[in-house]
Amino acid sequence: MNWGDYRKAMDALPFSPDFQERTEKLLRLSAQNEAEKEPFAMKKKLFHKIAAAAAVLALLTASAYAAVKLLSPSQVAEFAQQPLLAEAFRSEDALVLNETVESGGYRMTLAGLVSGAVLDSWDQDVDRSRTYAVAALERLDGQPLDQQSVSLSDFILTPLVAGYTPWSVNNWTLDAAVCGIAQDGVFYFLLDVQTLEMFADHTVYLAFYEGGVPSREIFVMNGDGSIQFAGDFAGPHALFTLPLDAGKADPAAVEAFIADSGFDLDWFTGSTSQSEEPSFTGQGDGELAEAPSVELEEIPSGET
Amino acid sequence: MAPCGTDETISRIVREYSGMLLRLACTRLASAADAEDAVQEVFLKLLTAPVVFRDAGHEKAWLIRTTLHRASDIRCQTEKRNVPLEEAAQTAAPEPGNDLLRAVQALPEKYSAVLHLHYYEGYSMKEIGKLLGLPAATVGTRLARGRERLRQMLKEEIT
Repeated sequence: MNWGDYRKAMDALPFSPDFQERTEKLLRLSAQNEAEKEPFAMKKKLFHKIAAAAAVLALLTASAYAAVKLLSPSQVAEFAQQPLLAEAFRSEDALVLNETVESGGYRMTLAGLVSGAVLDSWDQDVDRSRTYAVAALERLDGQPLDQQSVSLSDFILTPLVAGYTPWSVNNWTLDAAVCGIAQDGVFYFLLDVQTLEMFADHTVYLAFYEGGVPSREIFVMNGDGSIQFAGDFAGPHALFTLPLDAGKADPAAVEAFIADSGFDLDWFTGSTSQSEEPSFTGQGDGELAEAPSVELEEIPSGET
Repeated sequence: MAPCGTDETISRIVREYSGMLLRLACTRLASAADAEDAVQEVFLKLLTAPVVFRDAGHEKAWLIRTTLHRASDIRCQTEKRNVPLEEAAQTAAPEPGNDLLRAVQALPEKYSAVLHLHYYEGYSMKEIGKLLGLPAATVGTRLARGRERLRQMLKEEIT
């Protein structure tokens, strides 16, 4: 037996000869129905937005606002077709944060976080730990955000670690992937990154901002290792501190991470002139000069 | 990319992806009719969701992942009705097959998908990694483990 037999068996499967024709008809009919429903759906949505906006702005705290108005992290994971991750976000191990910052005309919310073994249903046998985070982006003027209005290349959600330069420990060096989901005018970011718990004996941040790769123009690392946005950084931005359990820190893993990077320790700690950030040419696959690229993926929304 | 609901896009996605998605669904489902249902549902989901893909590669990856999820869901529903895959295969319309196809269908989905995409569709490990959102090394591991499981199931070498 060989794979040629497998291909022959596949080729012999009795699919309907008119499958494509039937399917095209079905899809056209469905598209027509969707188009006819749209005006009513738009009106209904607008009504809800006005009512909801008035209620939440008047009555709710930021945390309660996020809980009421936004999708939960587990719902975002479900939209991203990651049922195991959705379950993890519902577990006791997940951190529900719902911290909100308003900046540059946007409301930026860090909704939740979970760390642990790989939770992507396709990745169960991969021997590595990951951290997953969900953040939400909304416009303060109420204009809805959709897949066209937000680019994953322009809005960055990246971890940073106190004591390590922002250009050395971030999405690009931590094997991160980010997907975006637009739902009801809110744009959600689902970050999947190498575990952040190994850094838990340091202050670990999630920076959310409109800009490019972390650089000296965007961030400042203070003498005590703490990180903040540069004073003249004008774009929408928020810096969240993650409440990680310091007991889960793994200095040996951090050491291995630095050793595997191929860069000098000075580049990570910023202790000498060698700590200059590498020259990046942009963001996305193959666009970084010296560091691994981050994977960006846009996930469709509206699935149930 | 163009909105999904246009005639042009509907024709393109159905003609471009139907064959590949139907075969992929059949790595999880014993019945070609079930595979057709799964793929139609995936196309409908694509049409009704406000989807924008950065490029054709992302569109294909979304379709492949969603098809695998949907086919697995249908398989789970079938098994919950206490109809094992082998029995379902027997009660479904008689369909040509061979031992290797049935063995692939019996593998866990993480193995069957990569084996099929590699040996039928001809994708490299790197390409499969991009389609399924996995490191290429993981794809290689799954190919090796999947082949080993098949060997054990079939009790013979696969050339």
